[in-house]
Amino acid sequence: MHPIDPDSAIFVNSVTKRYGSLAALDSFDLEVKKGEIFALLGPNGAGKTTLIRILTTLMSPTSGEAYVYGMDTCRNGREIRQLIGVVPQENSLDRYLTARENLELQARLHSLEKKKYKSRIDELLELFGLAGRQNDFPDTFSGGMQRRLVVARALLHQPKILFLDEPTTGLDPQSRRAVWDYIRSIAGEMTIFLTTHYLEEAEQLCERVAIMDHGRLVALGSSAELKAKLVGGATYEIEFAEGSEHFAAVLGKMACVEKLEVSGRTITVNLERWECLSEVITALNGADLRRISLREKTLEEVFISLTGEGVRE
Amino acid sequence: MIAVVAYPLTLYLAFGIGMQGYIGLVEGIPYGLFIAPGLITMTAVNAAYNESVWSLWFHRRVQFTIESYRVTPVSVSEIVIAKILSGFTHGLIKGFAVALVIFAITPFRFPLSSLAAYLAFLIPGSALFSCAGVISGTLLDKPETIGRVEAVVVMPLIFMSGLFFPLSSYPAAVAPFISLLPTTALFEGARQAMVTGSFSIPFSANLYLSAAVAFAAAVLIFRKKLAE
Repeated sequence: MHPIDPDSAIFVNSVTKRYGSLAALDSFDLEVKKGEIFALLGPNGAGKTTLIRILTTLMSPTSGEAYVYGMDTCRNGREIRQLIGVVPQENSLDRYLTARENLELQARLHSLEKKKYKSRIDELLELFGLAGRQNDFPDTFSGGMQRRLVVARALLHQPKILFLDEPTTGLDPQSRRAVWDYIRSIAGEMTIFLTTHYLEEAEQLCERVAIMDHGRLVALGSSAELKAKLVGGATYEIEFAEGSEHFAAVLGKMACVEKLEVSGRTITVNLERWECLSEVITALNGADLRRISLREKTLEEVFISLTGEGVRE
Repeated sequence: MIAVVAYPLTLYLAFGIGMQGYIGLVEGIPYGLFIAPGLITMTAVNAAYNESVWSLWFHRRVQFTIESYRVTPVSVSEIVIAKILSGFTHGLIKGFAVALVIFAITPFRFPLSSLAAYLAFLIPGSALFSCAGVISGTLLDKPETIGRVEAVVVMPLIFMSGLFFPLSSYPAAVAPFISLLPTTALFEGARQAMVTGSFSIPFSANLYLSAAVAFAAAVLIFRKKLAE
């Protein structure tokens, strides 16, 4: 057994999961600290859901070890499941139970005392804006309301780790922001492990981000650290009062300009190195300029640079 | 309730009452009485099977609630037991409803002492069909396949077990194989228990053993399938 840091909420050591000849996870390593908000990004089929299924004890790895709060996911399934809350990709609510009954069922599956869970359910229904609809069936709810009920259900037993598997997929911007606000509000109280396709979501919510592809970890760090690692030069936007066509031709001939796009009076140039900027400024001598600004790299650019532009099945 | 009793009652009216004048006695028993225990048993085990198979399929494929149960501290065996109990309870309630209707429209009465022996067959029988339902609901992904399994496997097994005719009707070469079927143990054992008050130990042993094997298989298959 590998020695585990007592501050680790999640520790994954060389985990491989094979489906026949396909490796959904390939010698995957990861550590998430207690209380951290952590995002796992990756294209479809990268292995994110497989990893969550292993960590939530739904599946055993083919090889390697995974620990949650120091407990082996293969040996301590029941103990781990007492500590975790899971928001799956689907709104897995029982449509023949009311919103309140769905929460009561969850409480009973966790063997909570009736006295305790009644007040906890009231609190969560209020918090997620569902108190007025608690006796209605989930089928009559909007997608956002169903999602909020699923999140409330995952939090009912006050888990130490919350797994959110694409929690805001399919939600309108308002509902998405409501879920984000709640995640922010509980930050620090519990470890949050999130998978998402929305890079803005990871950037907004998470302290650290991991990017995986083909079952392997390809990058890990804070959003700023990952952007800093993005190789290549800088992108500048240059806005002219007039004469943008002339200067587009001038800039287009320069060796250090990798790519150039013209949009009205604005030229966007990708420079080979940021040091090339002085050459560009010299070339713009005499131009009637309105603005030169550096365009920030986005997490999406990091993601695309690491996982490619091809669409995954 | 009408939906529950309609099918077995139709069969009873058609065969038990309609054909009784032509068939008369079967192995010394009036035909209406001969088929009554089988129809009650069939209703119970069919209900147990249907409740288990459709409930599990629906929770697994439509609502995805099985996944949400599996990330709570309950174990796979407990989920399977819950599904089996649910099917089993449905079976007993529906079987009881059909029994009440049959007894209400016929002069047949059974001694209470026979009831305990009958239940000793019906309970493992319902459990067996409930386990079979759990296995089908776990393995079958398409609803039409569930319907086919019921039409091609479940119903023929029930009808082959002497629901409407005595086992002595089978050719001598086939009869030993038929008597080994757990459904034969259930239907024939239950009929003997209710009509004559006798308790067949070989039939009950067959049935309890089959139910135990089916339960182990249900847990194993459910665990394996959901780990995929």
